[in-house]
Amino acid sequence: MPFGGIDIGSTMTKVVITDEQEKILASHIGPTGAEHRHLALKVMDETLLRAGIAFESLDFIVATGYGRINVPFADKQITEITCHARGIRALFPSAKIIIDIGGQDSKGIKLDADGKVANFVMNDKCAAGTGRFLEVIAETLGINLVDMGDIALKANGFVQISNMCTVFAEHEVTSRLAEGAGVAEIVAGLHEAIASRVVNMTRHLGIEKDVVVTGGGAKNQGLVRAISGRVGFDVLTPPEPFITGALGAALVGKDFFDRGVRPTKERKKEDVTFFS
Amino acid sequence: MNDMKYYAGLDMGSVSIKAVLIADGRMIASSLIPSGGHYKTGAEKVMSDVLSQAGLTYEALSGMTVTGLGAESSPFSARQISDISCQARGCHTLFPPAKTIIDIGGQFTKAAKITPQGRIADFLMSEKCATGSGRFLQVIARILHVPLDEIGPLSMQSEHPVEFSTNCAVFAESETISRIAEGARPADILAGVHKAMAAKVGMLVKRLKMEPDVVLTGGGGEDEGLAQAIGEALKLKILVPEKPRLTAALGAALWAAEEYPLTSFMTHP
Repeated sequence: MPFGGIDIGSTMTKVVITDEQEKILASHIGPTGAEHRHLALKVMDETLLRAGIAFESLDFIVATGYGRINVPFADKQITEITCHARGIRALFPSAKIIIDIGGQDSKGIKLDADGKVANFVMNDKCAAGTGRFLEVIAETLGINLVDMGDIALKANGFVQISNMCTVFAEHEVTSRLAEGAGVAEIVAGLHEAIASRVVNMTRHLGIEKDVVVTGGGAKNQGLVRAISGRVGFDVLTPPEPFITGALGAALVGKDFFDRGVRPTKERKKEDVTFFS
Repeated sequence: MNDMKYYAGLDMGSVSIKAVLIADGRMIASSLIPSGGHYKTGAEKVMSDVLSQAGLTYEALSGMTVTGLGAESSPFSARQISDISCQARGCHTLFPPAKTIIDIGGQFTKAAKITPQGRIADFLMSEKCATGSGRFLQVIARILHVPLDEIGPLSMQSEHPVEFSTNCAVFAESETISRIAEGARPADILAGVHKAMAAKVGMLVKRLKMEPDVVLTGGGGEDEGLAQAIGEALKLKILVPEKPRLTAALGAALWAAEEYPLTSFMTHP
């Protein structure tokens, strides 16, 4: 019995297909972006192809992420908070806190003893503490975003970046460079700034072991190290941090199915639309 | 020789350096240049500008005050007074009923309440977030290729200001690019930025328990679209000096005339 989860984020669309044992049969990631909205269905088709499963055989399809609202081929829309929690619980049964660092927002989620969402905090109003902060400054520095974490790991200490605001921090970085500060130490300071922002936000939930970092931020080892430093112990990261929301969506669908819920509407294999 | 007394005010800001010369309580000369990080030479330049406009030499000055972020780098050993006190003094003289001042500079936005005597009663600064600052406009104007002095007039042509989904300058920057692709007019985008800034500035002055009259100074005062947006956000008419970037320098000169007649400031190198 296969289940499908689709997570349409601000920059990427992720699809995961699992079986009834919660095993991942296939996953695929494609771009979102203004010009790529219609690709969500293609990401679904590609994942089905990889899993060797026909669309019609999916017992339940759940859509999540900021583009979840108009997915004509999904059976239910569920918030990414719930889906992330479900996906992380499957991967790390010991998880108590999830920190999700995305391209355009960041979230802290607290799980109760049963692995259900007890509370959450979120920042989607300001670029500080999100992937966008690092992206903007990487561009200023002429460094590829994907290389930022490794550069931070090679730093000798870090340069304190006192501005939280991305616009002001960008200016601060240029001043520090002019004063002769090392690029690696500045990059390490930027990671400290993000870590400080997301950990302080999550502190309101009460931080306890285990903490799992997910989303694109978890791909960045420099950031993971900085977050571990701030919480005081090593945080965990999933093997594929981009797909935990989609995995959770598939598993939330499986949970529905197990409780006897069945798809009610007709699925339309049509393009996803945004902001109708 | 006349026995007119001349006083100078020098405002060394992060973006520009300004000097004002007064005689008999009136501005008789002014100069403004970009600081470009060269505080000392910039200060000397604006001072020699105003003195030559008035046909005077340094020795003819009876007093001088220096203010602004860069005042420490001043080559003149004149008395220093905080920029907000000078702003209050200048605005009070131009608009005696003024109770609240909003100063929108290139980097920071400040709000101050002033007493009926033109002294500072309370003061707040927005330095944590670019949304309330001139930087936000600079960032968006750069994408739109609109020179800073054309922002105001262009935004006044807007009929449907763009609503940004967040007020973050960084998110608004990428949203602007999408909106341009969708065919939004630069006037509507700039008017949308003005609304977002006005909302943020409005929160700042409300925290201060603003009272009218409200005066807008700094580079923000030169942007009529921004002044109008702030007026709409606060539901009152905003007063704007004729030269909103010079009010702190004017205030500095007025302080010099009032309190600091100076005998030996000439340690000019």
